[in-house]
Amino acid sequence: MASSENISQARSITGLRGLLSSQRNFRRLQQIIIFVIMLIGAVAMIAPFEWMLATSFSRSANVAMPRIPTFWPSDPSTFNYKVAITNLPLARYYLNSLIVTVVSTLGYLFFSSLTGYAFAKGRFIGKSVLFIILLTTLMIPFEIRMIPMYLLMRQLHLSDSYAALILPFISGGFGTFLMRQYISAIPDELIDAARMDGANEFTIYTRVVLPLCGPALAALTVLSALWRWNDVIWPLLVISDRSLFTITFGLAMASRSQGIFTGVALATSAIAILPIMILYLFLQRYIIRGIMLTGLKG
Amino acid sequence: MLRKLRKSLIWYVFVAPTFILYALFVAYPTFETFRLSFFQEVATRQEFVGALHYIRLLGNQVFLAALLNTAFLGIIFLMIIVPLSLVMASLLNNLHVWPNLFKAIYFLPQITSTVAVALVFSYVFQPNWGLVNNILRELGVDPLPLWLAEPRYVLTGSRAAVTILAVWVALGYYMLIFQAGLQAVPSELYDAAVVDGAGPLQTWWLITIPSLRPTFIFLFITGTIDAMSRFSDLWMLGGPAGTPARSLQTIVMYVYQTAFESNDFNLASAAAVILFVAVLVLTVVNFRSFLGREFSSQSGA
Repeated sequence: MASSENISQARSITGLRGLLSSQRNFRRLQQIIIFVIMLIGAVAMIAPFEWMLATSFSRSANVAMPRIPTFWPSDPSTFNYKVAITNLPLARYYLNSLIVTVVSTLGYLFFSSLTGYAFAKGRFIGKSVLFIILLTTLMIPFEIRMIPMYLLMRQLHLSDSYAALILPFISGGFGTFLMRQYISAIPDELIDAARMDGANEFTIYTRVVLPLCGPALAALTVLSALWRWNDVIWPLLVISDRSLFTITFGLAMASRSQGIFTGVALATSAIAILPIMILYLFLQRYIIRGIMLTGLKG
Repeated sequence: MLRKLRKSLIWYVFVAPTFILYALFVAYPTFETFRLSFFQEVATRQEFVGALHYIRLLGNQVFLAALLNTAFLGIIFLMIIVPLSLVMASLLNNLHVWPNLFKAIYFLPQITSTVAVALVFSYVFQPNWGLVNNILRELGVDPLPLWLAEPRYVLTGSRAAVTILAVWVALGYYMLIFQAGLQAVPSELYDAAVVDGAGPLQTWWLITIPSLRPTFIFLFITGTIDAMSRFSDLWMLGGPAGTPARSLQTIVMYVYQTAFESNDFNLASAAAVILFVAVLVLTVVNFRSFLGREFSSQSGA
């Protein structure tokens, strides 16, 4: 780090001379300065993850922490990973996360787009009133309604079930709003033409509207998947059965008991996040585009 | 009329599932939180007690501390993240080498679960061998800060550690939103500034920043709501009580602790209502202060 700063300083000085000579060198100097600042930030973004990996692969990084962990383990070993895998049913946690994320995201896409279509192109009494009701409550944070939601789940005997983790999230005001905005931009002529051909509204929805909604659906997929995969507060309220833990929630609960076993805790954490990071590597363009389209974060 | 209603029927079918779920999981719980906050469980019956819980809360040191703490952490966070991400986004917007790679890297903490990130940071800030103190030791800092074990209001205490964590997580997202805003600034404005002989810094200060007003409004409103409902990372680092010495306890953590550890759903609901009102008021204030500025700048011109 220090040496790269020295190099950049040296470059800055030579760059300053160039500044006096021509505009082009000024541009180059500017690019170098910005690049170095961005690089320092990027190192700060990656360093904690790299340190997590290095420490998780260190055999002795447990209990008393005999030496200061570095960016490269001096005693590399997969010991912590073996302990992590035998300690916790991580495969089961992953499966639960997959089930919850996939089912609630599919539901969220379906209901948001179906209702969004009705609000965008439908004609029915009470349409604007219903839409306004949906909009005004868009900003009510989940935390404000979580107590009655928990009590409701208990009354319905849904605590400790997949349904509890999925049902409250298969539709949503934001998704409906986004789909309504997106579908409004589809020309009426397309829909009218299909109607002339005798298609019913549901056929129009599946054959005409949905195929045109790719970017909006992709954005909602990203958001819903991130929300469900990373959620911890709702499982904390409605799930106590270990066989229903999601990977995020399981990691949270395990970390409370693994406190002193640093290496094992970090190995568990690496197992929980690395597959998501690899997925992100391949899908990052779509994920970032989705976040930019909606303005919301995961 | 009947024919019209029959033609409408299909649309009601399309709208129904969303509104049934909406009634169950949004409308009813919101209403019920308000109702619960005015009742008290006596034996197994709910008895109306008026504003009793609100009076109890306003005299409750733990609740007031959580309220103050939430506000403090939120304000510090926004004061750091907004200028920092604006500068970084403006720089990145002018970088021709690997801009998308940097964007992707800065966004990495945002897709990682808060739980995993908080877990890693609990070790990153470990006083004896954590990553941060290890770097500080190399730089010759002595004595080394306690970070998460230091509950006082100091620059290297628990609040500082969780603020660094929050900024580290959110930077990529805030940069992304600013970049979207930057791309929407009309290029004629920049051309005009160049013609008028403005330098790059002048242009940035006089053209770019005022043009980003919608972005600022958006980030302040969503940032305030996020800060007010902060829970997961602090719960991971300090448990529901926000250890050490409740220095990390927020309102939502107080609500959680009151409802699910002390089993007082009524008092917890009252605290949730206060959170709701606070979010509402702050959203309106954010809106008005930005709109007010818009009106005054218009009348000035």
